[in-house]
Amino acid sequence: MTRSKIVAAALVVALTALAGCSAGESVDVDGGSTAGGSTGGTLTAAIGGEPDQLDPHKTSAYYSFQVLENVYDTLVEPDADLKMGPALATKWTTSSDQLTWTFTLREGARFSDGSPLTAQDVVYSYRRIIDEKLNAAYKFATVKTVTAPDPATVVVTLTAPTPNLLANLGGFKGVAIVQKANVESGAIKTRPMGSGPFTVASYTSGDTIKLTRNDAYWGPKPKLDGVTFTFVKDPTVALQNLRGGEAQWTDNLPPQQVPTLKEDGAVTVATTPSTDYWYLALNEARKPYDDVNVRRAVAFALDREAITKAAKFGQATANQTAIPKGSSWYYEYAPYRHDPDQARQLLGGAGVSSRTMDLMVTSEYPETVTAAQVIAAQLKDVGITVKIRTLDFAQWLDEQGKGNFDAFLLGWLGNIDPDEFYYAQHRTGGTFNFHKYSNPTVDTLLDQARTQTDEAARKQTYERAAKQIVDDASYIYLYNPDVVQGWSRKVTGYQVRSDRAIRFRDVALNR
Amino acid sequence: MGRFVLRRLLQSVVVLLGVTLVVFLLLQLVPGDPVRVSLGTRFDQQTYDALRERSGLDRPLVVQYLSYVGNALTGDLGVSFRSGQPVTTIVLERLPATLSLAVTAVLLALLVAFPLGVLSAVRSGSLVDHAARVFSQFGVSVPDFWMGIMGILLFAGVLGWLPPSGYVALTDDPVGWASHVALPAAAVGLVTASILTRFIRSSVLEVLAEDYVRTAEAKGLRPRVVVVRHVLRNALIPVVTVVGVQLASLVGGVIVIEVLFAWPGVGRLTYDAVQARDYPVLQGAVLFVATLFLLMNLLVDVLYARLDARITLR
Repeated sequence: MTRSKIVAAALVVALTALAGCSAGESVDVDGGSTAGGSTGGTLTAAIGGEPDQLDPHKTSAYYSFQVLENVYDTLVEPDADLKMGPALATKWTTSSDQLTWTFTLREGARFSDGSPLTAQDVVYSYRRIIDEKLNAAYKFATVKTVTAPDPATVVVTLTAPTPNLLANLGGFKGVAIVQKANVESGAIKTRPMGSGPFTVASYTSGDTIKLTRNDAYWGPKPKLDGVTFTFVKDPTVALQNLRGGEAQWTDNLPPQQVPTLKEDGAVTVATTPSTDYWYLALNEARKPYDDVNVRRAVAFALDREAITKAAKFGQATANQTAIPKGSSWYYEYAPYRHDPDQARQLLGGAGVSSRTMDLMVTSEYPETVTAAQVIAAQLKDVGITVKIRTLDFAQWLDEQGKGNFDAFLLGWLGNIDPDEFYYAQHRTGGTFNFHKYSNPTVDTLLDQARTQTDEAARKQTYERAAKQIVDDASYIYLYNPDVVQGWSRKVTGYQVRSDRAIRFRDVALNR
Repeated sequence: MGRFVLRRLLQSVVVLLGVTLVVFLLLQLVPGDPVRVSLGTRFDQQTYDALRERSGLDRPLVVQYLSYVGNALTGDLGVSFRSGQPVTTIVLERLPATLSLAVTAVLLALLVAFPLGVLSAVRSGSLVDHAARVFSQFGVSVPDFWMGIMGILLFAGVLGWLPPSGYVALTDDPVGWASHVALPAAAVGLVTASILTRFIRSSVLEVLAEDYVRTAEAKGLRPRVVVVRHVLRNALIPVVTVVGVQLASLVGGVIVIEVLFAWPGVGRLTYDAVQARDYPVLQGAVLFVATLFLLMNLLVDVLYARLDARITLR
């Protein structure tokens, strides 16, 4: 055979192979036959971007936590209703002065390398966050000491009663229990060692993170052999991956297609109201937004239903307070109906007739860009000309920090305790009070609620604070979005969670 | 020629130093704070200060730059703000994916552009020529990401022939690699093919008007021989330059296509680094692309001398 004939023959073989393996049937999800005869299969999850790193204490990226949720454990964790329940700790007691909490650790908890997870590991993890001032350090603001009197007991002492301590110690995997050796070797950035249902088997930068089942896991044995995360930024492409069988799960669906996807039934699409809220904030360090009547005028000028439809294609619920319906902390209060006349009247009373407002939004969250256009049209109607400034997130954060804005749109994601909804945002001098709201009544209420241990009384205090915050239009709340996720019909046992935690430990793959 | 190459390499080091300085200064002008992006929205001031110190961003700019260049000269490009991994490792990890995409795209482009460009020049004014010009006009006008999305919807969605995104290493599974590279390479290659078609066409037309071509025709050579032996050899010289530059710029800059197709290359890395204001990675990636351009130019110059006896390298 001449050389050119060999080449031609090779080409024909390659093309035939190509055509054969891609004739529209779905790709084998097993990811190659696994050794040991396990048949759980590997699920591929297409997430919207790549984790920056896998050290749970140092990352702030949601993409990282999507992976780490399946790798790490916390002392306690939120159940489906976001009530804090046992995880690594099986029970806990509180002293009568509420200043000492004693946790009993689960027997037989191990890291995925087989080494035991003891109270010392909990102390090490919390001290690391506190002493190195890592991202979640603010959650330990009232923690005085963390000690391990014996390998199965952790004692946390506080400087003030902290009713939301459990949410602080288990609300997300940013406060996970890490292994000292794993941290000190530096491997934690790409090969973190946790005690959760899966363990990181490989990380190919830019491409995939592969998890395999952790056989040392203390809970029920996960049914899947593994989970592979791929990073697909474009929602159209992510959807194609799901439809074509290259992925079996994604949370990156094109919002405008969700209603039709739900109907056509080729894949499962489920939604649940989230604990996130999106809002408009007006800079009270700038005139005329220091005037409560101007802020209230803006609140009256907005048609929240229209904004919600445009920004989320109906996958959200308009709300005038922060906490969503369905939460045990929900407070029903909606004083602002869409009323342009009222808005014009309030603006006239404040001596503001026509006015330009700088509204800062970020391309990182496209829904803010869409919402801003609707808001601009609505405010135009009452004589306020909105100049929309679309920035990338790095620059947006910079401007927010410097206070260079008349107004901005953003959301707070993954909140559990009401303290997370209100304190740092609305307390005078609060860490996230970038819009410089200050009301002594609200300050007193928020300080008081922080340490209130009677839950009913605490709820009442938060309701009073919330009412004042809404009346003052500190934040002008817009909506609570739904969590929208889609998966293959072969997937069973998966549940959409309102805190956006992605848990694959109970999932199975039918073939 | 050895001396020529050596001198050019030394010059390259100076150019690269200039590149690091320009990139460093530009990054200072870009608004956005890497520490703030890294921490996201929930953190307190102490945490911010601690991370700023750990990243070395609290040091004076001159110190930051000099220590960067000092380390770079020993081959240490620093560590990523985002992941804490060495920049050299990160960039090199992304190289195979990017190279395989860029080379495939350029090969595809040449496969189309070469016959099309030559044919439309030789048969100038014919139907083929018109078709080629429409094709290249289309290719340069339509953005590659749009071509990419249409390709995904057609070949992955409707027909189900190809995977919509992702990457398989050529060394792991050549067939898997080919099926994954086909769409992104076609999307990028179409644009490159259009540019090259136009370029080859005008280059060949120019040579066709030369006196020595008329002489060759006059002494009775068959048209095919004239084109292959006299026209192509001369017309190819500028084409080599363009192909080289195209290849280098594809390696550094298929950002949009790499992001769209979830392709783990240098372009996607650059995109993520910009979003996160990951200065070390961004500097590393730019330095890498600049080096590639310099090497590619050198290679083109050397190829010139091989293709054209009139050129000598000194």
